[in-house]
Amino acid sequence: MDTILSKYRSHLVKFQPLIALVLLCIGISLMSDKFMTVDNGWNVMRQISVNICISVGMTLVVLTSGIDLSVGSVLALCGAITAGLLKFGIEVPSNNLFVGFTLLGAILAGLIAGSLLGLFNGWTVTKFKVPPFVATLAMLTIARGLTMLYTKGFPISNLGDSFAYIGTGWFLGIPVPVWVSAVVIVIAVIITQKTALGRYIYAIGGNESASKLSGINISKIKMIVYSIAGVLSAVGGIMVTSRLDSAQPNAGMSYELDAIAAVVIGGTSLSGGRGTIMGTVLGAIIIGVLNNGLVLLNVSPFWQQVVKGGVILLAVIIDRANAKND
Amino acid sequence: MLKQGIKYCIAIVLVLFVLSQSVYFKKLSDVKAAANKVFNAPAYARNYLKTQLLPASKTSPDADQLIPMLSSNPGKAFKTYARGLAIGNIRYFMVQGKGQVTNVDENDVYVLTANKQTIKIAIEYVFGNALRDAPGIIDINDFANTMDLNNIAAAVDKIVRDEVLPPFRSQVKKGDNISFAGAFELNQEHINLASIEVIPVLLKIDK
Repeated sequence: MDTILSKYRSHLVKFQPLIALVLLCIGISLMSDKFMTVDNGWNVMRQISVNICISVGMTLVVLTSGIDLSVGSVLALCGAITAGLLKFGIEVPSNNLFVGFTLLGAILAGLIAGSLLGLFNGWTVTKFKVPPFVATLAMLTIARGLTMLYTKGFPISNLGDSFAYIGTGWFLGIPVPVWVSAVVIVIAVIITQKTALGRYIYAIGGNESASKLSGINISKIKMIVYSIAGVLSAVGGIMVTSRLDSAQPNAGMSYELDAIAAVVIGGTSLSGGRGTIMGTVLGAIIIGVLNNGLVLLNVSPFWQQVVKGGVILLAVIIDRANAKND
Repeated sequence: MLKQGIKYCIAIVLVLFVLSQSVYFKKLSDVKAAANKVFNAPAYARNYLKTQLLPASKTSPDADQLIPMLSSNPGKAFKTYARGLAIGNIRYFMVQGKGQVTNVDENDVYVLTANKQTIKIAIEYVFGNALRDAPGIIDINDFANTMDLNNIAAAVDKIVRDEVLPPFRSQVKKGDNISFAGAFELNQEHINLASIEVIPVLLKIDK
């Protein structure tokens, strides 16, 4: 009897985010006839694509028992770098040289910038033993400042149809951002489930000392993980910039909170070592559906914040209860 | 060893290929010279008005057809005839028509069409983007910045104020039969037909 109950409980815990999502969808569709429509479905999917990308990166970091508060600012800086290089290139007056960037070149530059910023986060965390919370909080401010410096506080707009396609286009009847996030999810699932890197990430989060003793290069793995989080923030930044056809200096503000919320709601333990990418994806969908539902139900934006905060708190309390029972 | 060498060679070739597809080089002086070419909005506007706006006005819907459609089937009217460059609810329509002047005041003439539609036509304050956006010909991506685009709208409006309105305004009086063509804006979320004011591009008193 105990075995059956325990099995039942473990299934319930496993499917908690999915059950929450289904209940949320049923609840909102009962209150608004605009919710369960194809158009609104694509709208929600397009909106959550950015959060999925940065949440997947955040999941990897949290699995190592770290946190990355800089994702929103890195997103803004990488979006601005991509837009700036695409539109203005680089001028080298001393050699009377202009280096122009194609769409591919600008996107690659944005991704490389994200990777380097993430790598810097990983380096400060591992080399100087700065707590991830503090190191990435510093990067949050640094990257936002650099974005303001690079853009001089103004948006960089009119980036062309090809670039706009990334954020607004459709491919095989599905919005391009949804394809991008799907590719990100697949790669992240493969990394976490099928590679040595994935096993090391879980091992470090589960017990860092034991992992070190078993020969895992902790610093290298952490730097790789923060670097991946940086790249995924850059992917999000490129999608946001493309969707708006404009790199906004204040883009991505408080995106880190939505990403952390998706990770926590998705069942990833903030103390590391436990959680899944698919859980985070469900968490991001729950946040997106919640946002969409509150807007459709004409809930005041102030109350929306309160409700979102409450949901996050509830998710953490449930996570704690699960951890205690485990 | 040989295998490793081939691997490196392939990697280098790949990196070089990606680089070649990612960046291009130009003389900075050439790029700056091209960028410093000032966009001549008045010249562009004059050419646009002559070669695009006026021909488009001749094929635009008649007021007696468009206004009733906006009243009875706004969705179809917006889908068929509305144009707009920007995101948002404001959309622009080209329109033409004939009718009898029923009133002339400081700002507008009021024209009664054959189908008993009263059309208000601006003859004093000609501003906004209606004449630029209503034909749906100008593509936002053809311009380096939004300032150029704004200057075109201002320049087209100025040509109308300076060249189209004065000869008409000095002669028009109540009872005249006139032909007109122009553009107007409507908010597609809050359609208010009483707010329609046609910004003219063509005004002619019929003899």
